[in-house]
Amino acid sequence: MERTVTVVPEAGLHARPASEFVQTANQFETDLSVGRAGDGEDSLVDAGSMLAVTGLNIGHGESVRIVAEGPDAAAAVDAIETVLTTPLDDGSETA
Amino acid sequence: MRTLTGIGCTPLAGVGTARWYRPETALTLPEQADPDQVEQHEEHGRFETARNEARAAIARARRRAVDRVGEEEATIFDAHREFLDDPQLVGDIETAIESGTPAEHAVADRFERAITRFESMEGRLSERADDLRDVRDRLLRALLDVDTVDLEGLPRGTVLLAERLRPSDTARLDPEAVTGIATRTGGRTAHTVIMARALSIPAVVGLGDRLDGVHGGTDVLVDGPAGELVVNPTENRRAAASDPTTPVRSERVTTVDGCEIPVAANVGTPAAIDVASNRGADGIGLFRTELLFLDRTTPPDEDEQYEAVTTALESFPGDRVVVRTLDIGGDKLVPYLDLPVETNPFLGRRGLRLSLDEHSELFETQLRALLRAAASDHGDGLAVMFPTVSRVSEVETARDRIETVAADLAAEGVEHAVPELGAMVETPAAAVLAGALADRLDFLSIGTNDLTQYVMAADRENDAVADLHDPLHPAVLRTIDQTVTAAHDAGAWVGLCGEMAGDPALTRLLVGLGLDELSMSATTVPAVKERLSNTETEAARSLAEQALSCDRRAAVRDLLTDG
Repeated sequence: MERTVTVVPEAGLHARPASEFVQTANQFETDLSVGRAGDGEDSLVDAGSMLAVTGLNIGHGESVRIVAEGPDAAAAVDAIETVLTTPLDDGSETA
Repeated sequence: MRTLTGIGCTPLAGVGTARWYRPETALTLPEQADPDQVEQHEEHGRFETARNEARAAIARARRRAVDRVGEEEATIFDAHREFLDDPQLVGDIETAIESGTPAEHAVADRFERAITRFESMEGRLSERADDLRDVRDRLLRALLDVDTVDLEGLPRGTVLLAERLRPSDTARLDPEAVTGIATRTGGRTAHTVIMARALSIPAVVGLGDRLDGVHGGTDVLVDGPAGELVVNPTENRRAAASDPTTPVRSERVTTVDGCEIPVAANVGTPAAIDVASNRGADGIGLFRTELLFLDRTTPPDEDEQYEAVTTALESFPGDRVVVRTLDIGGDKLVPYLDLPVETNPFLGRRGLRLSLDEHSELFETQLRALLRAAASDHGDGLAVMFPTVSRVSEVETARDRIETVAADLAAEGVEHAVPELGAMVETPAAAVLAGALADRLDFLSIGTNDLTQYVMAADRENDAVADLHDPLHPAVLRTIDQTVTAAHDAGAWVGLCGEMAGDPALTRLLVGLGLDELSMSATTVPAVKERLSNTETEAARSLAEQALSCDRRAAVRDLLTDG
């Protein structure tokens, strides 16, 4: 399954949101990929790799495409969406 | 399995994970080895160990950041942990290792690629490059064994490898965590070794250049009795080396014929006092007070010294605690005292010489603490001795200082007492004058490490003359004998606190030489007690007489082997 989500945190997919994103992705058995929405299949990277996720260089307000294949795919996509749509407490860059 | 031979310093063995202590090394990569020479399996293991160390270090840094800065700021370390465990990065590094790249080169190279990629992009990504550098450097420090080590906070099961350890370094080690010490240089009477024994840490020194080939993260066995460092030991090898457990006897032991000789411990730190007590020592035969003066910027005050001494007295109620006054100089330097650098410090201003002269104020403070301690609850067990004595006048001057301090304390209305007083016999001069010194004192204590060094003119730290630095040389044995006889004639008792006291193979000889107390590293107390309880005084005397008639060390050794 797949879903497209708009990134809410001010920091974009960097620093703390990125850490949380990767930690969350690694909690699930399903294979999770992530890419910039509209960039096509080639841009999809391993959602469990901090290096790859940060390397997407996705900012606040951009849309990302999440692709999941595996037993707990739906739960994984839901959890990832929560991370991407939860603003940080003070909305500031922390790391 | 690979065995390196050095000098065993403790009759103990320990296994653990090797960790280099190299405070001086920079973070530079060694030249890359030929891919065929690289052991893939070993490199994978090293990388894994380095990651574990880095992960633990990041967790610690995170906790510190939470404490000092806040939870929010500490999240940077979550990002570091994610980079450390990044499946792409880890996968890339492992692939590189599989193609014959040593772990440190694989890490440096793959991180560099990621860093370059991040830096080529805009904005926040170039900041992330710094995080990658941070993680990379943690890994490289672990792989290159560059010290970031907090000696006090070493993880349990650490075997510390070093060029050499300063006594102050060794004093910082936690005997619960450090299961062994292995150094490139050093002899069996180096101060570090003595302290390692006092802490009951297995130690092998003088391993030489081959120690450089032992990487951090490898499993090693420090076999003190055998004097070996075993890399990747097999189960059988480990079992064979495990501590031959002599039962600890806390009560005094006597010879077969009922002659009681206290088996005391040499200590310098509070931790060592506990170890000594646990190993069944009958008191302390050498309390090295200079260790209270190391690793700080000002000398300890009177109250602190009083506390240290009374604590030792309380740990050994009914036993004697022999405190040696400050013995600095020689190889034991205290930066804040600003002692001049000497070309030959072992023949320079050290021990009592400094206490009576340029550091008389330190001596006075120490004497005040000691005289007060002598009046404390267990103060009647206190004995005080002076180091590096070579003249009768030095002892007389020291006694005068004690009388002055006692008069001062009396005038101040401070409770005090004058303890038993003695001198160390370390110099040939003191040995020759033993009778005259003993006339003015209650006891003598023979420090055979320095005495051997001075009698044989053989530097105890110089491996090239290690063969000469052996108290079994007839010149040293006869010096000991003459000292004991002269002191007994003058009505003084004589202890021996050199490392030879801790060798069970020499116990009979020392009993035969007439020593009244033996003091040693705590580790060896049970073994010496065991030997003492099987010794017959008459046979021991006859052994000593024969040994004293030998002109060559080889003959002395033969005697000991036959006996």
